[in-house]
Amino acid sequence: MTDKPVAGVAVKKAWTCPFCPLACDHLGVRAVAHGAALVLQGGDCARASRALMSLDGSLAAAAPAIDGVACGLDAAAAAAAACLAASRQPLFGGLGTDVAGARALYRLACTTGAICDAGAGEALMNGLRALQDRGQYTTTLAEVRTRADVVVFVGGLCTDLVPLIGPRLGIGEAQQVQRHVAVIGPEAGDENTLATWAERGSVSVEALPLQGDLFDTVGVLAALVAERAPAQASSPLRHLARRLREAHYAVIVGAPARLPPQGALIVEAVNQIVGSLNRTTRCASLWIGGGNGAATVNQVFAWLSGLPLRSRAGPRGLEHEPHCFDSARLLADGAVDALLWLQSFEAEATPPPNDLPMIVLGHPGLAGCAVRPARSVFIPVSTPGIGSPGHLFRTDGTVLMPLVAVRDDSLPTAAEVLQRIERALQATRSAEAIQ
Amino acid sequence: MSSLCLRGGLVIDPANGSAGALRDLAVRNGRIVAPAAGEVFDQEIDAGGCVLMAGGIDMHTHIGGGKVNLARLLMTEDHRDGLDPIALPSNPLELASCGNCAPGTLATGYRYVEMGYTAAFEPAMVPSNARHAHMEMGDVPILDHGAYVMLGNDELFLQLLAEGGPQSRNFAQLRDYTAWTINASKAMGVKVVNPAGISAFKFNQRKLDVNEPHVRWQVTPRQVVHTLARALRELGVPHPLHIHASNLGVAGNIASTLETITALEGLPAHLTHVQFHAYGSDGPKKFSSAAVQLAEAVNANPQISIDVGQIIFGQTVTASGDTMRQHAQSALANPRKWVGADIEGMAGCGVVPFRYREQSYVNALQWAIGLEIFLLVNNPWQVVLTTDHPNGGPFTSYPHLIRLLMDRAFRDEQLAKLHPEVAANCALSSITRELTLAEVAILTRAAPARLLGLPDHGHLGVGAVADIAVYREQSDREAMFRTPEYVFKDGALVARAGRVTATPVGGTHFIEPSYDSTIEKTLRRHWDAHGAIRFDHVAIDRDELCRCANGGRLLPAACFEGVS
Repeated sequence: MTDKPVAGVAVKKAWTCPFCPLACDHLGVRAVAHGAALVLQGGDCARASRALMSLDGSLAAAAPAIDGVACGLDAAAAAAAACLAASRQPLFGGLGTDVAGARALYRLACTTGAICDAGAGEALMNGLRALQDRGQYTTTLAEVRTRADVVVFVGGLCTDLVPLIGPRLGIGEAQQVQRHVAVIGPEAGDENTLATWAERGSVSVEALPLQGDLFDTVGVLAALVAERAPAQASSPLRHLARRLREAHYAVIVGAPARLPPQGALIVEAVNQIVGSLNRTTRCASLWIGGGNGAATVNQVFAWLSGLPLRSRAGPRGLEHEPHCFDSARLLADGAVDALLWLQSFEAEATPPPNDLPMIVLGHPGLAGCAVRPARSVFIPVSTPGIGSPGHLFRTDGTVLMPLVAVRDDSLPTAAEVLQRIERALQATRSAEAIQ
Repeated sequence: MSSLCLRGGLVIDPANGSAGALRDLAVRNGRIVAPAAGEVFDQEIDAGGCVLMAGGIDMHTHIGGGKVNLARLLMTEDHRDGLDPIALPSNPLELASCGNCAPGTLATGYRYVEMGYTAAFEPAMVPSNARHAHMEMGDVPILDHGAYVMLGNDELFLQLLAEGGPQSRNFAQLRDYTAWTINASKAMGVKVVNPAGISAFKFNQRKLDVNEPHVRWQVTPRQVVHTLARALRELGVPHPLHIHASNLGVAGNIASTLETITALEGLPAHLTHVQFHAYGSDGPKKFSSAAVQLAEAVNANPQISIDVGQIIFGQTVTASGDTMRQHAQSALANPRKWVGADIEGMAGCGVVPFRYREQSYVNALQWAIGLEIFLLVNNPWQVVLTTDHPNGGPFTSYPHLIRLLMDRAFRDEQLAKLHPEVAANCALSSITRELTLAEVAILTRAAPARLLGLPDHGHLGVGAVADIAVYREQSDREAMFRTPEYVFKDGALVARAGRVTATPVGGTHFIEPSYDSTIEKTLRRHWDAHGAIRFDHVAIDRDELCRCANGGRLLPAACFEGVS
């Protein structure tokens, strides 16, 4: 759906932004010639603009490299395959890719026995572990937009993570006669954001301070909505609990990445609140996260293998270890001996510090992090939604957004590179088998 | 492409009037051909002592899409062997994939093919989740696939229905919207789940009978079912409306099931997993079999087809679009956890783990009801063999189910193990019927192909796609149907004695009914006002479908001349 290019300028109106979990498709992007600036059209989003800026200029210098020395794609893929062949336990981290990349990654993970963990693996596990233990009841953006009369944010508004969360939830739209928005444990700047939302006629807002820490506060609210009123509950929390019970459709919004350690407990408490309310009225949760490919790769791995991330096809079988297969822990313990870092969306999503042989498949802006004393291979890959089409899950996990290419970046996709490494690895193994 | 001749097997091809004939079966370029005298084939196989059928077709199995993946995430217990991980496959052609009631897509393909199945249809594709569903189906190796898109709980449909009034003044709009949705989601048919009930639950309605108004839109399930069935008829969609009726799992729900048939006013329809909809409320436990009433209704209405949704004892997980009923049943979850979701003003989903127990009166009766339905419906062309995978049990239990239907002594032996009051309270113990091989071939391939409008599938006539299962004749029908000697897909060997031998990418079946495109103006306005995706991004075109489906072949099926 490329709109008419004018004098070297391509304007993409029906663009899907791949840079945050909301995957907005109401903004456009203007591409000016090869390698030059990309500019957001039709609205503002700080995160999208920053990500678009990071693509400027880095394309021209994007070339595969081994130990910082430029080389051809075949040589880089062969070096990557050799690196993986020599590894007894590789770690695949970052996982910033789309469905096609994830499909290819799974095959390579099976071939190598790699452990796979997303860049934001801990946040992903907060939601996943709560789901695995007790389940959940969730909703999606269009449901919230059209029907939610009470929206409660737990642990801040997370507008730095998802700048357009307000409009995407329909806050300020006239679909609801009256909508109440509350934030439990507001962060700096949240009250200003609430104030701007309150200026829209039908929205009332409130910021509730924590009662104790976030665990305590959500626990008290859970008791209140279940009508097991704890004596120490603060008045604002009591009012909020009553409001939730009286709501037609309350939605509780949280961002696992913003939760403290052991955040799964907060997710579970929120899920309990939702469950209690659903006995008499309607309520659901909406979890914000899974950007940079994390939710997408998690879904693809789950459907292919049955197991989500933090898994491996290891010597004992298909293993899922949400604690042990934490990449930070594995690196700290020296439990892995090679790292493949895949990150095609953000130049800022650099690999964790390590001195292992490392393969970086990623955003052209990541070239610098692959210059180091240990063996390193860098292969720039196309960013889905910028240089290539693709598919990415939206934060609510039910809508798989189509990504369109904005410009030709002449880079291979992550899927193509992973397939190439896989072929090189299989060839190496066949040769070894013959010898 | 190569040629192949299977010599001297018992060819069972009920679609072509053959209940069994000893003959050769020839294949050239992926299709069945008539063997000519003296013709030389690239490969000849002695099929003596074997039974040959078309590849199995499962027309109602939850193999891919959002709720199936939620089931995988939820059912951690299904993906390990006690404390141990599931061993990696010994077959180098297979990638690691595990699960019994919530298998990965890869395991799904391998296990189906090992049993002689070559096609499977996902029955509950949510329009907003269609890309995801096609992605998952594209990652089910070897099998051809397709999906029915869910309508009748989307707010737009209910709003239009309300605006049209009882006379359905705007029927053309609803028909065009239905056709547009099929096209946009690249579906093979339309399914309605708890008509208007999923939406009603969003508005806190906890029960919705067939003639009861939806609290928000004031339309009834009767109107929804009739309108959709009529729309598909007028559009010439080969598979009639696929109906998951109201009140799933509720004692006494036979009344709403029969009322649903009445609501259709003679329009064709397929009632799915009817075992869950054939309950009376008689007896000391206020829960009884209504299989006889259901079978009578099916026997009296040749335009109605069913699949059964047989339950199988053991652990499974139920994955359904029916949030209203899944929420109600979540208290019975085993293990005690469940997942639900309200989806995009269109649909919902509920995933509830279940363990069906032989000593539970209710579960044992459910088991008996399913078998009664299979055995009491006279015309096998109206019945399809399913467990509603995974809701009644995993698809891997089909060989066991086939034995229950073909072997009365085995069936009675199983019945004797159950809760003692069940045998006394149901008709099953007095039913002597044993299905024949030809009837099994109808229930598992010929009828599904016919009901879906796939003229080249489900049979072994000249010109048919060469999807063939070759079973070694054995008196133990479970063993026979568990492990076919050979399975061919498009003429190529894909499994030999229970081991996958090739993993081609399967094709996607879909239909493209025509419609008046002025409906898109209404839809665009609706999406702008209520959606969370740009209208231009909703529809999947053929190129994108191909990418979703992993490069598999696109298999558009023809619509018939619509009847208005």
